[in-house]
Amino acid sequence: MPTAPEKSPAAAAAADYATLRELYRPHIESFDYFLDEGLDKMLLSIRPMEITDPSSNATLRNILRASLNFLFRSCSSKLCHLRGADSRKLIYHGEEATEMGGYFISGGMERLIRILIIQKRNYPMSMVRSSFVKRGEGYTDKAVVIRCVHLDQSSSVTVKLYYLQNGSARLGFWFGGREVLLPVGIVLKALVDTSDWEIGASLTCCYSDKHGNGKGVVGTELIGERTQIILDEVRALSLITRKQCLVHIGKYFRSVMDGFEKDDYETVAEAVIKDYILVHLQNDNHAKFNLLIFMLQKLYALVDQTASPDNPDALQFQEALLPGYLITVFLKDRIQDWMRKSKRVILEELTKNKSFELSNSMEIRKILSKHTTFVGRAIESLIKVGRANSQSMLDLPQRDGMTIQAERLNFHRYISHFRSVHRGAAFAKMRTTTVRKLLPESWGFLCPVHTPDGEPCGLLNHMTSTCRVSSCYNSEGAIKDFQKIKDKLLSELVRGGMTPLLPKIEHAGPPEILHVHLDGCIVGSIASAKIDEIVNYLRRLKLLSHPATPEDLEVGYVPLSLGGAYPGLYLFTSPARFVRPVKNLVSLPGGEPSIELIGPFEQAFMEIKCPDGGNGGRGTLFPATHEEIHPTAILSVVANLTPWSDHNQSPRNMYQCQMAKQTMGFSGQALKFRTDVKAFHLQTPQTPIVRTATYKKYHMDEFPSGTNAIVAVLSYTGYDMEDAMILNKSAVDRGMFRGDIYQTECIDLSSKRRENVPEVFAKSRLSRDTSDVIDSDGLPRVGEAVVPNEQYYSVYNTLTGAIRPVRLKGTEPATIDYVAVNGANSKGFLEKVNIRLRRKRNPIIGDKFSSRHGQKGVCSQLWPDIDMPFSEHTGMRPDLIINPHAFPSRMTIAMLIESIAAKAGSLHGKFIDATPFASSVKKEGENSSKYDSIVDELGPMLASYGFNYHGVEVLYSGLFGTYMNCEIFIGPVYYQRLRHMVSDKFQVRTTGRVDQVTRQPIGGRKHGGGIRFGEMERDALLAHGASYLLHDRLHTCSDYHIADVCSLCGSLLTATVIKSETQKKSKRNMLGVNTLKPPKNFACQACQTNKGMETVAMPYVFRYLAAELAAMNIKLDLRLSNRRESPPGNES
Amino acid sequence: MERPATGVTYQRFPRVKIRELKDDYAKFELRDTCASMANALRRVMIAEVPTVAIDLVEIESNSSVLNDEFIAHRLGLIPLTSSAAMGMRFSRDCDACDGDGSCEHCSVEFHLAARATDSGQTLEVTSTKDLRSTDPKVCPVDQAREYQQALGNIDPYDGDPQGDHRGILIVKLRRGQELRLRAIARKGIGKDHAKWSPAATVTFMYEPDIRINEELMETLTLEEKTSWVESSPTKVFDIDPNTQQVVVSDPEAYTYDDEVIKKAEAMGKPGLIEINAKEDSFVFTVETTGALTAYELIMNAITVLRQKLDAVRLQDDDADLGELGAHL
Repeated sequence: MPTAPEKSPAAAAAADYATLRELYRPHIESFDYFLDEGLDKMLLSIRPMEITDPSSNATLRNILRASLNFLFRSCSSKLCHLRGADSRKLIYHGEEATEMGGYFISGGMERLIRILIIQKRNYPMSMVRSSFVKRGEGYTDKAVVIRCVHLDQSSSVTVKLYYLQNGSARLGFWFGGREVLLPVGIVLKALVDTSDWEIGASLTCCYSDKHGNGKGVVGTELIGERTQIILDEVRALSLITRKQCLVHIGKYFRSVMDGFEKDDYETVAEAVIKDYILVHLQNDNHAKFNLLIFMLQKLYALVDQTASPDNPDALQFQEALLPGYLITVFLKDRIQDWMRKSKRVILEELTKNKSFELSNSMEIRKILSKHTTFVGRAIESLIKVGRANSQSMLDLPQRDGMTIQAERLNFHRYISHFRSVHRGAAFAKMRTTTVRKLLPESWGFLCPVHTPDGEPCGLLNHMTSTCRVSSCYNSEGAIKDFQKIKDKLLSELVRGGMTPLLPKIEHAGPPEILHVHLDGCIVGSIASAKIDEIVNYLRRLKLLSHPATPEDLEVGYVPLSLGGAYPGLYLFTSPARFVRPVKNLVSLPGGEPSIELIGPFEQAFMEIKCPDGGNGGRGTLFPATHEEIHPTAILSVVANLTPWSDHNQSPRNMYQCQMAKQTMGFSGQALKFRTDVKAFHLQTPQTPIVRTATYKKYHMDEFPSGTNAIVAVLSYTGYDMEDAMILNKSAVDRGMFRGDIYQTECIDLSSKRRENVPEVFAKSRLSRDTSDVIDSDGLPRVGEAVVPNEQYYSVYNTLTGAIRPVRLKGTEPATIDYVAVNGANSKGFLEKVNIRLRRKRNPIIGDKFSSRHGQKGVCSQLWPDIDMPFSEHTGMRPDLIINPHAFPSRMTIAMLIESIAAKAGSLHGKFIDATPFASSVKKEGENSSKYDSIVDELGPMLASYGFNYHGVEVLYSGLFGTYMNCEIFIGPVYYQRLRHMVSDKFQVRTTGRVDQVTRQPIGGRKHGGGIRFGEMERDALLAHGASYLLHDRLHTCSDYHIADVCSLCGSLLTATVIKSETQKKSKRNMLGVNTLKPPKNFACQACQTNKGMETVAMPYVFRYLAAELAAMNIKLDLRLSNRRESPPGNES
Repeated sequence: MERPATGVTYQRFPRVKIRELKDDYAKFELRDTCASMANALRRVMIAEVPTVAIDLVEIESNSSVLNDEFIAHRLGLIPLTSSAAMGMRFSRDCDACDGDGSCEHCSVEFHLAARATDSGQTLEVTSTKDLRSTDPKVCPVDQAREYQQALGNIDPYDGDPQGDHRGILIVKLRRGQELRLRAIARKGIGKDHAKWSPAATVTFMYEPDIRINEELMETLTLEEKTSWVESSPTKVFDIDPNTQQVVVSDPEAYTYDDEVIKKAEAMGKPGLIEINAKEDSFVFTVETTGALTAYELIMNAITVLRQKLDAVRLQDDDADLGELGAHL
């Protein structure tokens, strides 16, 4: 399967990386929408504030004049000056040619807002959750929950409809930090002028006794009683009319709603309904009424088990929380908060300052200008530390960890950040693992392979390479007019046979009639016999790109079933839904490829077949209507790059996804112009001979990450045991896996200024040494090598005139790669510089390498060329030897195939296509694969060049010159060098710093500490009976101490130096008498004698313990004895 | 280890027959010796025949995209003509200069100065064009070849006339970039660093001794013979078009892969063929990097090997290894 000849690099550069750009779109488009329209709409949706001067009764309205200064920008958003720049312009500006933006630059860091998975908006979901019982007495674990999002996307409110044991229901929503629970009857009556009969008729319409328990029946005869209970509840409160209900609600809320202190109860209640109850329907109370009725019906179906609960962990009921949306919501909250604060400030000013008048706008501006940065700083901190600080939860799943840093360790890691979706921090702490489960609903949207193992497993997922997120922009790049789409869609639906609903819900229900929901609004009903027709009609319109149907329209048809999901036709046009392309099998008149975008909600009820030519075991009853474009569509970008991943054991592909992200590769081509804190760079990377179709599609050649190493699989000398690998020293000499680490130090003298003394960079005038690393300006010379502890820049204190040279930390030599001066201070002195150091990292023993199949290993030896086995035929010596034991249990067959394929490819001078599942795709006009297996395809290629069919060769021992009896499997395999290197990790100590208190050696690699010889290690030595070694480790090499103990009183702490003794000593010294160390110059202070003084060797911590105990008035008494037989010698 | 009784000699007299000799390629037979001897010769050729390579680089100015170490590394890997290397001193043993590169006994100085002018054209800095040696005997191999060509002694073995003769690319410079450096080449051996290895490939094989069981072979049909012959990935056997007999066309193409033996067994004819390696004859293939000619490489290797053996022999008498300590 050779690929087409490669395009020249120049031609590739000319391409505008459209495939890559697609991957970043959710981030950029959502923020673009925020700038284009979301911001304006959000500001308009903020209710104007009124301030009344109590003395003059003058009022000030609407103090909001949107004057927000943004301290941030999203790269490649419409505010970014590099927007729309082609690769040539980007290179000119010192950026990557493939720079796609999508992140914010804050404090020199590139940070992006993580996409979170949240509940699908505007869809009433039936849920069973034990925590609902705790809402109060009589509550059950069942509820219908709907997350309503404002049309302008500026806020969302989750409304829950709880089922009570008595058959009634309560409507709950969060208001000012706590949950408000209203009887549903009151809400129903408060919404519209209605009668009890009408409510009863609407509710009971879903039940009809003629159906019995047939297919699709959701109502039961209990509904009548329940309706009665609901209505009785309201009547018990003697609320009859709509007005009474509104007043009832208004009374409750007036004291807590901001800005409604003076309004009557009805206005307050209307505002509550508008702002908190089913907000996506805005002011349309009839629609709210209808939806609430529907929710009640669904709730009762859930309770009566005529409909199953919806799984909140399934992607079917989830959508994405996009950056632009998060910022809109958060910004709105902050502005409202700022307005409240401003109001308070103005009112305070009014009471304090008599001359202050509300009409004086200058004064007001002056007062407000004191905290204008409030909003900007909140947004900045959202991006910088990922914290959305707000009193209310804003209906967001979490407050912390909203943003992550876009690390440019290598391209795999970088792109993964933009494709990752997180389930939410709350789930990470949960002990249950159900949320982490891989569910079939996420097929094609979230990659089953690309999730880390360990703590975030299953919570941090990645979108598949073809997965998109529906946006507010249509394919032409214009903002969608949702109202227009809705109108057109409605007329199409009516044409298709829908009965529009004006304005009351139709008094019938499933199974004869199904309701049609459009973005959470019931728009009509269709006879269930006609529904298949209308669904097909809508899909056809979608394919024909009819204006009524946006390309990402989701036609969620839930069919009638026996106790399955609640039936209905749910249409969604909203943004932030996951969508992916599949092939529709309907043939279009023009014969165009009929690609349709489908969402996870509808996918669950669709028949999509694999493109292998079969029908996937479907009978004639459910023929496939759609077909996957390619099976690799279920894999993420990184998982797609693993060659022949369909031949590997599945966990190995997961490991590869993780290791690809730790690879030391080409982090970027603009490395010269960047000041990353740490950047890894491989000096001589190669393009893999064996690659998948994705490799080219996403221009991975711009960021290669490994080397085609000649790998021999044999057990040679034993140095390749247990995943160790032998590298060929000569190959390393010639440049294999060589690399550098770039570290940038940002030195800002103004930030750590001590006692307000300005410091500047300068060199001592006294030093005339020109060979010094430090140049005349106090900064290092570029290209100069610095060894540890060498001075490399110097700082001049302008007050004391002292020069403070700064030495290089660490134990590794470095080279000055680059010095950037970040402007000067007001006096023209240098204050802030970036110094980039380069450290050479050639492979050494202990460095980590991995193939692309989750086969990692550590270099155990750098073996010279002459000692490596050699092939008599070609004279080749392997670059790398791995042990055959790496294969049987891990079953990474693809690595073996890669070896054969790369060998065949290099002989023929071709790249080999290793796209997974290629054999499962039926190619048009080609009779199914010529070969049974890939090896049968590659074998003849090898044989035609005189190599063994199976990729093995006879090798000769490099040491003895005799040939090995066994044929050795040898061939090129693409190997990656991982960023874990011994140079960063080794820890060694003989002597060094000790702890001040315990006098034990300190820990920590940075401080030259040791590795803790801990409890388990102690146990091991005890078990071996290695008492001498134990004593050596824990005592002699640790805090060995000789203490003076008074055997009379047993005290360890009372020993004092005898003064007279020392005086005598000094006198003797003066007399020139030979000074012998006096035998006892200590005396016990308690016993006032030195008679009983003895020296005892003990750990110093023991003495410390004695001192600590003494501080608590506990005396530690040592009884000294010389008797051997007394079991432990010195004991307290 | 027991020594042989005095007087008993195991001395053999190996024979060398050169089959093919080009400037950078040689194929020869080594007979009447054992594998250890052959392997010693191979190892010495790869790792212990001295050559000259750039070892110290002083960079005056480097504004190219590649960092200093990278350029130094690339310079080191350029093969330099090293015919004089055997006569040179190792820098560490050089009394005249302490190895700082100022003496002609142990080092050769190189200069490189390149600057891309403002023409906008990318400038390729190559070993042929830009690397200037101070000693005509030691220069990049492609320069030497160009010189030979200019003299008219066009290398008859330089197979590929259309090939790339631009030399070895060191770095590409864009407009305004500059590279200026001084480099010192020293003598060294491949054991220390692969850049000093003069051998690209040195390999040998045992000469196979192929015996076809003719009686059994005759029982095969022509088709069976053909399929048997084709079971070998390399072309070892052939069928005589006239007699339709299987003949060994090229025994040395055999790679000891046992494919034909397995095939014979699969056909139900075990013992159809017997292949043994001749324990005492070897066929060597030598390719050089160009630093030395293949002939020089082989001869120098023998010299070095002999010196090493001398050192072992001298060790019996006294511990003085002389200059050979370097090779041990």
